[in-house]
This record gives sequence, C-alpha cells and structure tokens, in this order.
Amino acid sequence: MPLWRRAAAPLLGAAAAVVLLLASRGLGDVAAPGQLSPAFWPRLVLAGLALACLVKAVQDARLRTVGGHVDVAPPVARGLLAGGIGLIVLYVLVTPWVGFPLATLLLIPAFMALCGARSVLALGANAVVGTVALLYLFIKLVYLPLPKGVGVFEDVTIALLRALRIF
Amino acid sequence: MAEIFGGLAVGFAHAVQPLNFLMICLGLTVGIVAGALPGITMLNAIVLVLPFTYLMGIVPALLLMIGVYCGGVFGGSITGILFNIPGDPMNVPTTWEGYRLNRKGQTQYALGLAIMSSAFGGLVSALFLAFFAPPFAKFALSFSTVEFFSVVVFGLASVSVLAQHSIATALVSLCAGMFLGTIGTEAQYGVERFTFGVPFLRTGVDFVTVLIGLFAIGEVLDQVVGTAEPAPENPDARAVPRLPLLDLWPLRWPLARGTAVGIAVGGLAGAGATVSSFVSYGLEKQISKQPELFGTGHAGGLVASESSVNGSTGGAMIHLLTLGIPGSAATAVMMGAFLIHGIQPGPLLFTRQPEQVYTIFAGMILANVLMIALGFLAALSFATLMKVPAPILNTFIVVFCFLGAFALRNDMADVWLTMLFGIAGFFMRRWDLPIPPLVMGVILGPLAEGYFLTSMVAEGNDLTVFVRRPVSAVVLALAAGLVVWSIVKSARRKRAVRAG
Repeated sequence: MPLWRRAAAPLLGAAAAVVLLLASRGLGDVAAPGQLSPAFWPRLVLAGLALACLVKAVQDARLRTVGGHVDVAPPVARGLLAGGIGLIVLYVLVTPWVGFPLATLLLIPAFMALCGARSVLALGANAVVGTVALLYLFIKLVYLPLPKGVGVFEDVTIALLRALRIF
Repeated sequence: MAEIFGGLAVGFAHAVQPLNFLMICLGLTVGIVAGALPGITMLNAIVLVLPFTYLMGIVPALLLMIGVYCGGVFGGSITGILFNIPGDPMNVPTTWEGYRLNRKGQTQYALGLAIMSSAFGGLVSALFLAFFAPPFAKFALSFSTVEFFSVVVFGLASVSVLAQHSIATALVSLCAGMFLGTIGTEAQYGVERFTFGVPFLRTGVDFVTVLIGLFAIGEVLDQVVGTAEPAPENPDARAVPRLPLLDLWPLRWPLARGTAVGIAVGGLAGAGATVSSFVSYGLEKQISKQPELFGTGHAGGLVASESSVNGSTGGAMIHLLTLGIPGSAATAVMMGAFLIHGIQPGPLLFTRQPEQVYTIFAGMILANVLMIALGFLAALSFATLMKVPAPILNTFIVVFCFLGAFALRNDMADVWLTMLFGIAGFFMRRWDLPIPPLVMGVILGPLAEGYFLTSMVAEGNDLTVFVRRPVSAVVLALAAGLVVWSIVKSARRKRAVRAG
C-alpha cells in the first residue's frame, strides 16, 4: 500500500480533531471567572486525539519505510456487505413509515436470505412466528410503544395488533 | 462479632421462609434475563419491579430487589459470551475474553467460569458487607471526587495494556470514545457541545447505542460477509454449560484480585461495577505472565472482571446502607424502594432496624449462592440459542438490537445511532482499530470529566490536589506506572521483532 494511503487515515483523523477543536471556540464564553469552561475537557480530549493520530501516522510511515510487516485485511464480499448495510439502513428508514410489524415481517426473510437461508418455508415461518412473538413480548408484556407507521400503514398495524389481541 | 452472627441468623431465618425465598429466586431470574437482553439494563429491571414491591411486605420487597440487583449485574455476561453482545457496560471486559473462548469452542468453560466467579465475587462481597460494613464506610467517607477521578484515570490508563499491537492506535480509539462522551448538554453550565443543531444529540450519545452497535451489529456484518472467525466445529457440545469448580483453582489469584478490586472500587460511591470491571481487567493483564493472550480468550481476564463486577455489589451496598449515599443509579433506585418501605438508610439504620439490615445481608449471601443454580439454568437456556442456524440468529440479533436501542428512550434516533455505530464497528475491525478502548472512552470519559470538574470547583482549580491526597497519589502513580510499563514492553517487543 502506498505511504500516503496508509498515513491518510490517521492524518484525516487529526484534521477532524482540529476542525472540532475550532468548533469548540464559542463554548468557553459562558464560564464563570476563575472556573474551567465547558470547552476545557473536550479540548483536552481532542488535543489528545489529534496527537495520537499524528503519532499513528508517523508510526505507519516508519513501518513502511523500514520495511515492517503490514497486515492486509482479508477480502470482503462487497455485494453481501452492501446488501447487509443496505437492509439494516432500509429497515431503520422505513420502520417509522410502515410500522414495526410490517418492516420486521419483511426484514426477517430478506436478511435470512442474504445470510444464506434458501428454504421458502423457513423464511416465511421465521418471519411470521418471529414477528408475532416479538409483538407479544415487546408490546403486550413490556409496553414498548413501537412505531405503528403512518396513514394506511398505521391502520394496518392497529388492525393486526387488534387481531392478535395485543390491543 | 456475636452480635453479627446473631443478626445474620435472624436474617437467614427471614430469608429462607417460602415466600421470601421465592422472591429472591424471582428477583434473580428477572435480573439475569433483563441483564442479558441488550438495551434492557439491570437498572431497568429494578425500576420495573419497583411498583410490584408496593403490594408486598417489607422483607419480600427487599429480597426481590436484592435478587434483581445481584442477578442483573451477572446477566449481561451470558449474551456477551454467547453473542458478543454485553447486556450492560460492566460486562464488556467479560465479553472480550468470553466471546473469544466461545469462538474457540470453549463456551461451556466460559459460561461456567462466569457463573462461578460471579457467585464467588458476590458471596465474598456480601460477607464483607455483613462483617465490615460500618468501619469500611467510615474509611470510604474520607474519599472524594479527587479519589474517584484517580480511580477512573486508572481505568482509562488500562487502555495501554489493552493495546494489542500499537498504543497509538488504542489511544486514537480511546480519545474518539471520550470525545463521543462529550457530545450533548454539558452538566455544569447547561451548554450544548458538538450537537450542531441536531435535537437528539442534546441528550448525548447513550453508551448503550455504542455498545450494541459496535459489538452486535458489527459482528453480524462480519458474519454476513464471511470475515468473522468460523464457529466451532461441534455445536452440540456447546449447549450445556459446566461448573468448573476444579478449573477455578488455577485461577484463584485472578479471582481473589478481581473480588478485592470489586469490593474496593464498589465501596467508593459513584465508582461502581463498570469502573471496577475495567480496572480489574487492566490490572490482571498487567500482572499476567501472558499479557499477549488477553483479548484472545484468556480465562484469567474473564474471571477477574466477572468477580469484580459482582464483588462491587457489596461495596456499593455498604455506602447505601451505612451512609445513605447510593453508589450507583441502581442503588439509588433501591434506596427509593427502601424509603417507600420505611427503611431509612444511614448511620442509624444498624441500631434502629437491625433485623432488616441483617435480612438484606442474608438475602445477598443467599442470592449469590442461588445464582450458581439460576445462572446455570439461564445460561443453559440462552446457550440453546447457539444451535439456531446462523442466518436466523444473525437476523434476530439485528431485530433485537433495533428493539434494545429503541427501548432506551423510545426514540428512533437511538436506533439510527446504533446502526451507524454497527457499520463503524465493522470498518474498525477491518482497519485494525481496536473497539474496546473506544467503548472504555465512551463509558469512563464522562465519569472522568464529571469528577475532574467537581474536584476543580471544590479545590479552586488547584491541580496539585490529585497528588496531595495520598490515595489519589498512589492510584495515579499506579496508572502512570501502568502506561510507562506498557510503552517499555511495547518498545522491547518491537525491537525483538526487528532483531529477529
């Protein structure tokens, strides 16, 4: 890996710490005379972060120049990674709109399939039984106000919860 | 001494009555299960059972709460060992070692060690509470935020021994975690820090979202893309945990040290199980003859942290019962329950209501003994989940992470944070950025800031107070020694690698 690429990540970290240090400028104004300001601790931490990042960058550069061993991460199935992250993000994104029951009913078979499950029966059974069990456990027993969705989805969720005698 | 034995006899007589005994068992079960579920902490469990105690007499109510407390501090270790999801922050060091043991196919051993060392730590701590509560409380009363700050700094310093390859990398991770801990509304002046106008950041980044995300979601993504370590070959052999009584003998010193650290740190108000587990783990790694094996499934590390977690329960109760000062959020809720039932914790409690005091002591002793059986049953039930095929398990872990994060504040923002930390956790693993120091930073950073600023206000910004007070000076010297020793060892290791 080129030297600049190895040192780039810690240098970016140091730069981010400096930007955040600059962003903390207004925080010191409220401090009472003779007292430490609310910016004191974060500035200390950010200075430490910047310093640690710089040391790391130097270490990485030295590792390269003195011919040290550099660990290479194992290759990743990028499609699966994108699929996994995509499904997780989509799940969080749509749950407030379509409601927890429907979103979970869709996530379970989709994520299982992504992980390698192929039996349609297993996908369907886990989706239905899992969702119903979670609804009973977390709405009926724990009283967790899980998202019901908006508009027509809210009506569907409420009808489902009534049918299951959870409401 | 005769008075203590007499009091304990009366306490046990109360505790073993059928209803009271049942309450201890029920409390332990609720505590273990709640502690094991990510997002539902032991504190949540204590708050949930509190209304039920209104309907009870004073003794069953006390014993139910004691059961939840003792079970709750242990429960999170089960899911930590099995699924790399610590139920509570205090179970994080146990997870580091326990999960690695699990991946090596030593699940039974890891679960058994966790149960036995928890029970041992809790039992010794309860006995210590029964026999030495008043003198220890007097000693602990001389401690202030100066000493608490030093202890937390010692916990943070242990990051240097957690660094497997590079101290600089661990420091980057630690400082990033500490920075995350500064986000939100500052306590002293009420100023918003680094919220950038985002409303949900005003209340800060809850460390549970960081925990669940980095550990659970990151691990699931690792499994999905196939870069995680392969599961052990014989999954059936993992179903039943064993109780390794004989295996504990070679680990007697980590067990003793962990318990002692737990009692000592737990006895300082405010520095509870979480700090003690990190301090104990860091100390153990420093003392160990095989520090390089820590983080790869080291039984000594697991035993030390686990015994210190339960060891801290007695220490925390000493403060609550003798001084009326709750040492943690959990003991604060318990104090509320005591007050509701007419028990006024404080110096006069031992003379005015000795029967109740010794019932609490007996309840804690009994709860820690019973935890062996109930912890075993709970671990057995959770371990059965290991037989579930990976696609189903990974999917439901994602859903449970969603629920755990949402349950924190009934807010989707926490779910977003959890998932974002999960994705970050995956890339941190890929880029060799250690996760444990970041978690330590998020948990201990705000504590360190709070104690530091309070000390500065009290001492007129005089920094020398940290070295003028003997206990603080000793603890800080130990912390400095820990860091210097780690740097020297790291330099020697690098020289050895270069030489040959």
